[in-house]
Formats: sequence, C-alpha cells, structure tokens
Amino acid sequence: MEFVSPEGLRLDGRRPMEMRQLRAELGAVSRADGSAIFEMGNTKVIAAVYGPREVQHRGQQLNDKALIRCEYTMANFSTGDRMRRPKGDRRSTEISLVIRQTMEACIMTHLMPHSQIDIFVQVLQADGGTRSACINAATLALADAGIPMCDLVTSCSAGYLNTTPLLDLNYVEDSAGGPDVTVGILPKLDKVTLLQMDAKLPMDIFENVMQLATEGCKAVANYIREVLMENTKQLENRRGV
Amino acid sequence: MAAKAGAAPATYSPSPTANKKNRPPIFTDIDWIRPDGRDFHQCRPAFLRTGAVNAASGSAYAEFGNTKVIVSIFGPRESKKAMMYSDIGRLNCNVSYTTFSTPVRGQALDNKDISSQLHKSLEGAIMLDTFPKTTVDVFALVLESGGCDLPVVISCASLALADAGIMMYDLVAAVSVSCLGKNLVIDPVSEEENYQDGSLMITCLPSRNEVTQLTITGEWSTPKIHEAMELCLDACSKLGKIMRSCLKESASTSQE
Amino acid sequence: MVGLSVGEKHFIQGGIAQDLRTDGRKRLTYRPIFVETGVIAQANGSARVKFGGTEVIASVKAELGRPSSSAPDKGKVSIFVDCSPTAAPQFEGRGGEELSMELSAALRQCLLGGKSGAGAGINLSSLSIVDGKVCWDLYIDGLVISMDGNVLDALGAAIKAALSNTGIPKVNIASASTPDEQPEVDVSDEEFLQFDTTALPVIVTLTKVGRHYIVDATSEEESQMSSAVSISVNRQGLICGLTKRGGAGLDPSVILDMISVAKHVSEQLMNKLDSEIAAAEAAMEEDS
Repeated sequence: MEFVSPEGLRLDGRRPMEMRQLRAELGAVSRADGSAIFEMGNTKVIAAVYGPREVQHRGQQLNDKALIRCEYTMANFSTGDRMRRPKGDRRSTEISLVIRQTMEACIMTHLMPHSQIDIFVQVLQADGGTRSACINAATLALADAGIPMCDLVTSCSAGYLNTTPLLDLNYVEDSAGGPDVTVGILPKLDKVTLLQMDAKLPMDIFENVMQLATEGCKAVANYIREVLMENTKQLENRRGV
Repeated sequence: MAAKAGAAPATYSPSPTANKKNRPPIFTDIDWIRPDGRDFHQCRPAFLRTGAVNAASGSAYAEFGNTKVIVSIFGPRESKKAMMYSDIGRLNCNVSYTTFSTPVRGQALDNKDISSQLHKSLEGAIMLDTFPKTTVDVFALVLESGGCDLPVVISCASLALADAGIMMYDLVAAVSVSCLGKNLVIDPVSEEENYQDGSLMITCLPSRNEVTQLTITGEWSTPKIHEAMELCLDACSKLGKIMRSCLKESASTSQE
Repeated sequence: MVGLSVGEKHFIQGGIAQDLRTDGRKRLTYRPIFVETGVIAQANGSARVKFGGTEVIASVKAELGRPSSSAPDKGKVSIFVDCSPTAAPQFEGRGGEELSMELSAALRQCLLGGKSGAGAGINLSSLSIVDGKVCWDLYIDGLVISMDGNVLDALGAAIKAALSNTGIPKVNIASASTPDEQPEVDVSDEEFLQFDTTALPVIVTLTKVGRHYIVDATSEEESQMSSAVSISVNRQGLICGLTKRGGAGLDPSVILDMISVAKHVSEQLMNKLDSEIAAAEAAMEEDS
C-alpha cells in the first residue's frame, strides 16, 4: 500500500514531517485535583489526577517517596468498530505501566513521602498515537494539579514507511505494520525517558526516525508550555493581579 | 396443592416460541380469560413455609402458582477483611436461577440486576444499625420461573430474614401488576409478562404503609398509576397478613 | 463518598428547608446545562452534556444485525454505561461496575418501555430493514467523565442529544432474494435519515432531603438524601419509567406528589434541553 504519494503527501494530506493538529484544554474534570483534555488530530484523551493524598492500601506505602498509580481505559466508542472490552486487558495494563514509569521519572516523588498520586487516562477517540497523547495529557493534568515536576515530559511517535520517515502516525499508518518509534523526552534537560519500537530498522535509519520523533516531542513541549502559560495568565487575571 | 398442579399443565405453554409471532388476540380485547382462569384483580394462591434449609440461619420457601423460590439467609457474620469499617451492617443479596427454571434451558434473566433490585427493596426494612461491622447474606434461588419472580423473591426473602431473627421494621411484601391494553392485571404469569405493555412493582412495609421500592416500566398516565398503586398496596397488605400468619404458625409448631 | 462535617450537613439540610441551596439555587432549579453534539467522529451520533460539574458523553453506533426471532419486525437497542475512573478514584479497576450496571438498567427501563414495546422512547420498528432478516442494532454507550451528582438525568439528556444528532445511513435492498437467503443490502455513504426523537422522555430525579425534594442534586446534597426517585416523563406528560434509590421508605401519597412535581419540572427541562440541543446542532453546522 502506498502511504506517501509521489507528490510527498500522506493519506490524510500531511507532509511526512508534519504533525497533526494539537489541541489541549485544562480543567475538564471539575472534581479532580488536576485534569486535561489532549487531542492529536482525531485522537482524543482525558487525563485526571487525584492527589497527593493518603495511601489507600497501607502495604503499598513508600517511606521515602510518593506512590504513583496509573490506569488507562478506553471508551467503548473510541475505536472504529464498537467493542466491549474487558477492563484491565493486557494492552491496557501495559500502557498503564508505560505511562506510570514515564511520569515517575519526572515527578519529584521524594518531596511527598507517604502519599499517593493517581493518574487516570481515558481514551475517548483512538486514531493512532494514544500512548503519546496519554503521556502529554497526563503531563498537563499533573501540571494543572500543581504537582512538582523536574520538567514537562512530552511524547511523540514516528514511523518509517515507503522508505520515508513519518512523524506522528495515525491509525492507518500505525496498523500498516512498519516500524513505530515512540519517544518521550524531558525537553529542558534534553533527556529521553521513554523509547519504544516495534519491528526492525537499520541503525542509521533508526537514528533519523528517532531524531524526527524527538523534534516532534519538542514541538509538543512548546505547545504545552504555551497552553500552561495561557492558563496561568487567565488565573492571574481572575485573581486581579 | 394438588388441584393447582393439575390445573397448571393446561395453561402452561411448553414452547413459548410457537405463539410469539404475534400477540394472541385475547390480550387485546377488553374481556378475556387469564391463562390460569383468575380474575384480573385476583392474586395467585400463595404457599409460604419457613425453615426450608437447615444449614442456614434462616430460610423460606415460596410458591406462587408456577413460581417457586427458596431463599436462605446466612449471618450476621464478620464482614470480609478487605471491607472498610462500617457502623451499620451490610446486606449482600444474590439471586440465581436454576438452569431448568425457564422453559428453554439456561434462558434466565440477568440476575445481577435482580440482585441489586432485591437489595434496594430490603435495605429500607432492615435495622442495619443493630449489627455493625457484620454482613448478612441473602441467597435466593429461583427453582421455577413462572412470572413475577422478583416480587416473590422479595417477599420470600423478608420471610427468611424474619426466620433468621434479623431485626426489621416490618415484613416486606411485594406485588406487581401488568398493563395489557386497557386492563390492569395483578400478579401476572410469565405468559402475560411477555406481552405486557407496562408493569409496576411495589414493595412495601404493610403495617407502616411505607413504600421501599417502586419501579415502573412502559407508558403510564397518572390516573392509571393511582389505580395500579392502590391495587398493589391492597394486595401487599393482604400478602403481609399471609406472611405474618405463616411466621406465627412456624413459631407455634416449634414451641410444641 | 463525600466527607462532610456535622456543620456542613446542617447547612445543606437547612438551606434545602429554606428553599435556598448552598449554590444559591431554589429547590426545583437546575444547574446550567451545556450541550455539545458531534463530539465523537467515529460514531453515528454523539453528545457531551454538562450539568454543572457533572459531565457525560453518549455515543450512538448503528450496525447491521439480525433481528431476534421473537420480534422479527423490530431492530435492537442496547444501552451500556461506563464510569470512567477520571470521574472518581473509586471507579478504578472494577470499582465502577456496580454503579455502571445500575445506571444502565435504569436507563433501559426509562427509555425502552414495556416488554411489548409500548411506550418506548425509541421506536424499534423504525430500525427494521427487512423483516426477520436485517435490522439496525443501535448501540448506545454512555461514559461518565466527571461526577457531581445527578448522573442519571445527565445521561438521559446526553442520550437524547446524541440520538438527535444521529444519522442512520439510508439502506437500499438489492434485488428480491429467495425467502431463505440473507438479502443483500447496500448502505449509503451519503444519505442519512434523521433519527426521530420526539417520543424520547427526559429523566427527572427528585432527591428527598429531610421533608423536601430537590432536583439536580450535587454530590454533597446526594450524600444527605434519604431516598431518590427517578421518573422519566415524555412530551405527552405520561410516565415512561420510575425507579427508586436509597433505603428509606416513602408514603404512597408522597410518591404520587413527587410524580406530579416531576411532570411539572420535566416540561421545563424538556424545553430547555430541546433549545440547547438545537443550538448545539446549529453551532456544529456552522463549524463544518
């Protein structure tokens, strides 16, 4: 199948190095301590953060740092064909773990010992790159909740189809079976916290693709920073500062 | 008992798919005879007994026409360790159907839904604050489903709770009516339930004249709700008397 | 669970008794209602509804299926509700299942009518394509995203909005096949039929706190309730379903009074909702 036309356009009309439209909104869930909606094209996720609060199961309490928990759920209507999926299937558990580990790397957990932070991500629409969208939404929600972080983690994916590196794969490109590199970075510190790849790639091409994904992450980071700044300004205005 | 058993096969349709194509004309007319020959406002004869299961702390058996139900009560016993402290008791209800309860094997209704309805109907009648930190288990088994399963289960469960010595404000009596065309039919059999336009179920505490649960499905006008509620409440108070006399009977026989 | 002090509890109860609730509303006033339609691109119809801090999404998907043998001339509708853990941490894992089940059952009861199909808000006959062969299966999914009381009413409203937003593709039946064969159908990509929602009822939940009842209770107010009655009323003022929650018993006359209050309130809610849905639809058309 042809994923990049001779004119250099992808199936949804983007250029190979072009990202989908980003949209973010803070405070979507009124009762949560922090929440955010994050959209990457048709992929739409909600993240809600509860905490830091008392640890529910005493056995899990950590004495030197906060306990981070994460749950990833997909809405029944999120995919093209409607499915009633059981909760906690393998895929959800795996993604929950990935998100938790990524967020743990940036939250300053040592400041909040004996406490627990819950991150819940709910996928409303899945169109490829849910993993990245969830991480970006979780970052925003954590920032909204005012949880100390050493940096804003952002994530983006890139692939390699028709001998072209492609940024931010959608569902059709994702399910083509080609290599798919998901990267999560701490943009200010310039460090990689998440790196996953399916399928195989030659070493030199991998470097290119990863470079592309990292660029994508930086673009997301800029956008997230803008959204947060805008939100802070609004809060300031409301306080009359 | 014998007479009822004799009459049952004549009305009981073993293959419900045969006449399901369209509603039998009798149900749409103003006047028709009910499958078991009752009046519209006449309940099925109720047969109630306590102490059906020896191992349980209390139990009861109820038979309303073809609907046969056993309820056993266990507890109050210590709540599971994982549960949080609670200064009032917990009620755990579970309704299950035997595989042979319906004409077609294994075609029983959603029992999770019925279990939660049973819970809602009973919790208002039980003095939960008399057994803090503990749980009472209510296990209901529908041996045969012949219409009006939920009301029978509820009435039977309250009798079993009384038999187990659980403190209650009053016995819970439950009755449902079906709306078929213009007619209201009390205590419907499953055949009537399959063609009903709407149904109304009341569970009440007869001597306190208090409704613990009321469910309505289908389209109803307010006067019709009035009429149906009156019919049900009247039937509930009568059923309450039968339940009371059943308890008295069992108490007097155990004393002898 | 909402943790409230004794003072806060008295404040809520006292406010309700004096017809001035903690957020300044009267007993029979709703919080601001917000409706947005077409939020889920993959669905045939969808809507997001907010009642104050309560937020739900409903989506409608239509798929071709076979009618059941007991009702060959009717389509099928299934309603499922999920409680997202984003709404409350206790819904994590399987924690939300109990509430999800209860909400789904209540919605089915309120929207689908009696066994014979009389009084159903959704006309099942309109979903039939070929008698006994092909019909539409309508899957209605509700998702609770944020919870601040009165979830059932919000879900009812969201489903109504989602169905108003639903376009069922036009179906052409290709050539008369032999009676035993499955007929071939051609689903149109361009032509959609608007789903008729005039018969859909609205759900009004009256929460009884002390001696009074209130509509659209917040979670704080719900924690103080003795019982709540959910009544679904259609445009003709007929009752399409009723369920009761909460342990305390009610006097029959109180229930009848609640029904008449609900009928009165439902009229206002229905009009409010209809205008919100129409506005949301118009806004969506402007966008596209």
